[in-house]
Amino acid sequence: MTTANGQIVAATHISRIFPMPAGPVTAVADVTLRIAPGDHIAIRGPSGCGKSTLLHILGCVETPSSGTLLFNGNDVTRLSDRQRSLLRLRSIGFVFQRFFLLPMLTAAENIELPQSEANVPKAERRQRTRELLEYVGLAARADHRPSELSGGEMQRVAIARALANRPGLLLADEPTGELDRATGEQIAALLDRVNADGTALVIVTHDPALAERSTRVLTMRDGRIEDETAG
Amino acid sequence: MNAMGFAWRSLVRQPARASLGVLGVAAVGALLFDMLLLSQGLVISMRGLLERTGFDLRVTATDALPGSGPLIPDAVADARAIATLPSVRSAIALRFANAVVLDGSARGLYTSFQGVEGTATHPWTILQGRDIGGGAEVVINENAATRLHAGPGARIMLRASCTNEEQALPPVAFTVAGIAQFPFDTLNGTTVAASLAQLGEACGGNESSEADVIMVASQESAGPDAAVADVAKLLPGLRVLSNAEAVNRFERGGFTYFRQISTVLTTVTLAFAVLLITVLLTVSINQRLGEIAALRALGFSRWRVVADVFCESVLIVGGGGLLSLPLGGLLAVGLDGILKRIPGIPADVHFFVFQPSALQLHLLLLAATAVIAALYPIRIVARLPIAATLRDEVVG
Repeated sequence: MTTANGQIVAATHISRIFPMPAGPVTAVADVTLRIAPGDHIAIRGPSGCGKSTLLHILGCVETPSSGTLLFNGNDVTRLSDRQRSLLRLRSIGFVFQRFFLLPMLTAAENIELPQSEANVPKAERRQRTRELLEYVGLAARADHRPSELSGGEMQRVAIARALANRPGLLLADEPTGELDRATGEQIAALLDRVNADGTALVIVTHDPALAERSTRVLTMRDGRIEDETAG
Repeated sequence: MNAMGFAWRSLVRQPARASLGVLGVAAVGALLFDMLLLSQGLVISMRGLLERTGFDLRVTATDALPGSGPLIPDAVADARAIATLPSVRSAIALRFANAVVLDGSARGLYTSFQGVEGTATHPWTILQGRDIGGGAEVVINENAATRLHAGPGARIMLRASCTNEEQALPPVAFTVAGIAQFPFDTLNGTTVAASLAQLGEACGGNESSEADVIMVASQESAGPDAAVADVAKLLPGLRVLSNAEAVNRFERGGFTYFRQISTVLTTVTLAFAVLLITVLLTVSINQRLGEIAALRALGFSRWRVVADVFCESVLIVGGGGLLSLPLGGLLAVGLDGILKRIPGIPADVHFFVFQPSALQLHLLLLAATAVIAALYPIRIVARLPIAATLRDEVVG
């Protein structure tokens, strides 16, 4: 679902300031950003420039200190915690640098979990899980636990989990940060495919090669978007 | 996967931690269960014992316990008068003394010696032989029979001791009419019983109408309260207690200690259980903060992650609680055996008595433990800052 003007996210002059004992720290300063379906955006910048904070704001796990954030036309700052959880569950997928798969569940169960939380009927979520395992090339590893998977396989399961409820927006925070170059390349290719299949993608990365695959590359410094280029 | 299933998988993921929690709760729960059985056990047991004697009123000279206060001077006549009251079915006068049975050893066998007179069935149960009749006959308990190697028809010589003062009474010969079970017998105690007249003879022959207590059975149609009122009116100089009042006096007196000990130990065990589970859950959750933050980022609601933690607490306490029942039962049997070795405790009295209300309270306290123990870990996950935790996990 998108707004009438075709935007999933409309962030306008958003800032995020963290109160600290030594004084407030501005992590994100006056950022305006639009994300449309099919966008493939990379956010780059030095450590501590506010990339991850911006990603968290876009993913509705962090609220801006000021500015407006519309997600599918709804003002996120006015939503309750429960409503924001529901929004994330149904409309946003997250991929983390450290995967955060649940070690006591199999690959299939990890993928099924968000669907279960979204009350998807059992038969339907089993079918969707099979499709996703095939999509990420891990159909044969469905019953393996994370400890039995390689780093690349774990990240593929994490991507499948993020796509479980068919989100319109997939956010990935350093998705290749824990992987070697060859495995990172496979994950990047998989993310390209996810984007090509219609899911908007925002990736925070230090990896120039991964950023160059995006159609829009945002460079941040000191909490601001310093530059936007076409990938 | 619902919260309970998720909690189960989280526990199975760390079997050592889960086992530690369940076993800890089982041990604490067993102790808790025993404390609850102990808090009322002695009172319930004593009430049952008093009711099993077949008498529901006790008449004494003073408020002192029978056997430890002054004698009722004209107890036999009083018992007869009481038995004529319309609210009374029967009454007997009972006197407690001590005796040494001469068994050939240097010291003889020290035994309690009871004398009974009245219109009712005697307060003992014949196991072998017959009850006492007229003449110099006694019934003895099984311990006495074993130690004296005496059965029905045997002759015994005993020297009575009827006052607190030193006495040198001559030995008296008795025939054992039967072997009987006495309700207030201690585990290893020996008891000999005769008629009050025979006991009086053995005590020197001058006190055959005195007794420590008159035990009264009320008419079912009247009930003990009416009988208490009638007896008190008939004999205003004596103290009359129903079984219920006697139990109340026990409760207010010596039995209070058991309840106080039980309350203190219950509180301590519950506090220990709460701390144990809180620590285990908190450690477990602190190890999984990144996973929990990731679940929240993926759309799991705050209530869902709270429910997961709560269900973990319920599973640990539930599993431990179930184990605690048989464990507590075994422990109660062992402790009961130890406590019953205290001198003077009737063998039929139990310190740990099962009652449904104790089980209900046990379950209620364990449920409260599960809730209270989960509060702090729940607070951690409920207030978990998602973004900051994800950031810290990556930096860490």
